Amino acid sequence: MNTIFTVLAKELKVTLRDKRTLISAIILPSLVIPLLMFGVTKLQKSLIDKASDKQLKIAMVGTPPLFSTTFNDPKFKLVSNVDVEDGRRAIQADSLDAVVEFPADFSEKIKNMQSGTVNLYYKSTNMMLYNRISEKIDSVKVGILKERVKQLNISEEAFLPIAIAKVDIASPKEQIGKMVGGFLPYIFIIFCFMGCMYPAIELITGEKEKGTMETLLTVPASRFKILTGKILAISIVGLSAALMTIIGMVVALKLLPDIPPAFLNILNDMVTPRFVIMLFAMLFPLSIFFAGFLSALVIRAKTFKEAQSLVTPMTFVIIIPALIATLPGVELGWQTSLIPVLNIALATKEIIAGTINMLQYAAVVISLVVLALLAAYVSYKQFSRESMVLQ
Amino acid sequence: MIEVQNVSKQYILSKQQKKELETNKASVFAVNNVSLTCTPGKVFSLLGANGAGKTTVLRMISTILKPTQGIILVGGESVIDNPEKVRSKIGFLTGSTNLYDKLTPGEIVKYFADLYGLDKAIFEQRKDMLFTKLNIHQFSKKRIAQLSTGMKQKVSIARSMIHDPQIVIFDEPTSGLDVITAHSIIELIQQCKAEGKTIIFSSHIMSEVELLCDDLAIISKGNLIYNDSMHNFKQAYQHQSLTEAFIAIVKSNSPKLTAAH
Repeated sequence: MNTIFTVLAKELKVTLRDKRTLISAIILPSLVIPLLMFGVTKLQKSLIDKASDKQLKIAMVGTPPLFSTTFNDPKFKLVSNVDVEDGRRAIQADSLDAVVEFPADFSEKIKNMQSGTVNLYYKSTNMMLYNRISEKIDSVKVGILKERVKQLNISEEAFLPIAIAKVDIASPKEQIGKMVGGFLPYIFIIFCFMGCMYPAIELITGEKEKGTMETLLTVPASRFKILTGKILAISIVGLSAALMTIIGMVVALKLLPDIPPAFLNILNDMVTPRFVIMLFAMLFPLSIFFAGFLSALVIRAKTFKEAQSLVTPMTFVIIIPALIATLPGVELGWQTSLIPVLNIALATKEIIAGTINMLQYAAVVISLVVLALLAAYVSYKQFSRESMVLQ
Repeated sequence: MIEVQNVSKQYILSKQQKKELETNKASVFAVNNVSLTCTPGKVFSLLGANGAGKTTVLRMISTILKPTQGIILVGGESVIDNPEKVRSKIGFLTGSTNLYDKLTPGEIVKYFADLYGLDKAIFEQRKDMLFTKLNIHQFSKKRIAQLSTGMKQKVSIARSMIHDPQIVIFDEPTSGLDVITAHSIIELIQQCKAEGKTIIFSSHIMSEVELLCDDLAIISKGNLIYNDSMHNFKQAYQHQSLTEAFIAIVKSNSPKLTAAH
């Protein structure tokens, strides 16, 4: 055990002194979710505010008396003497936002209690435009509807024969769990893999390339112990990256403004010792699996560059099952609990939602442990081959 | 003592390797039926051109490579049966300063001392002695990446000698080094000899060989073509320099050896 710890301690020291590893395993994972949440929320809000406050230039064609004052609002600028064709060209050239055209029979149809059609010409790329114009038209529509109800002397309910009363049985925790739970594992699985990447290349291929591997193999320690120390170091860095992602998310949710208190309460309920232990029990074998798998792969490379080119495509192999887990309808079952990466992503979703089946959870952990041991064994077999460890 | 008896190292060729070597053979011998003995208190030189098989022999002695056939005993232990025991007896030094850039000399020496299972008190004593002797103290807290080649080689020496090995293997230890650093290696080899250690070293630099070695062997294309004491060698080739004699021996043996392949 001493040899394993000696190798592990040295490898961790070397790894933590490497800027690339620090960035990919500690800094980036802890910042990515806060930055994403903060950045996306801010950007979205600013874009919506901008689109809502922008003065829309619209042309009205054949305006009936009903709509004569509807767009008398500082947020709209009416352009006169424009026909539909001119208007369409102006929209195409971005000198006009929309044309609202009332056909000649519009007033007649309204008067006869028929549906009058309003033609709206616009670009769907113009954010919020449709909502803003339809909101104005709807205000007139409601007035017409009330007038008709009055004329026909019937109740307004006559126009609403069926109403659906929704009773959501899912707890807020379950709702948020299914929502956040799909996204969170996707991020931490990728960072766990990326966290393992650089240390694996540095500690395996790097040692080969620099020639230190040859020196290391002349010490009275078995290759098994040397490799075990290295795999543990790689997996600890990967595990740290995954944990930093989760810590980053929790801290961001607690510190960011505009997070509803109800959501924060759910978050506090969610991050319990049970949640942390259950997550760790899956993440640890996953990180060993990544470390073993990457070690077996990069040991084939003679240079750092060659190792990078071997490892980079593997990121996509990891992303695909993690991405599948975010799709609606993909649930944890006996079959999915045995598919690596997908299983941990789905199980995390269920744990956060509080709906995990403990037997299926056990199947996930066992399959991950088996996979981790298999990857470590394959890596050891490679490490035992002379042609693999020497330049 | 190092005893190498009828040792061969055979490599199976892949399709790609066959193409590169332009051969149809299924395998090649990097080392073929080599026997030699290195005795304590003497320096044994292994000479040969590039690719002759010197490094393969040294790697097999230090257990990095396994012989395909034959027996190697290092300090009485078999490299096949007890590789870890063999490794605990040897110190291995090459000319390329293979060190960890992000560690300091102190950390590197400590790492290897721990791997050799050295007691803390003995480690401190050995480290202090080696660092003083090699003038490492002044840069012992700097990272390897900040050191010159000469400084790095001194750290490599300290690293390979920290456990006071009885058998020392030097693989072209002075190649690419400046005169001063190379001289410190020569001094180290002489000191090891004076301490009664068993020393085997490979080199291309004939002046070093002449200065240091007691016994020598010449290897060519994996085959041992000369193995005798330096005294007998000088007697046999008294009218030639060491370099001339070496070239003559290699040239006269080459055709026969090629046919043997």
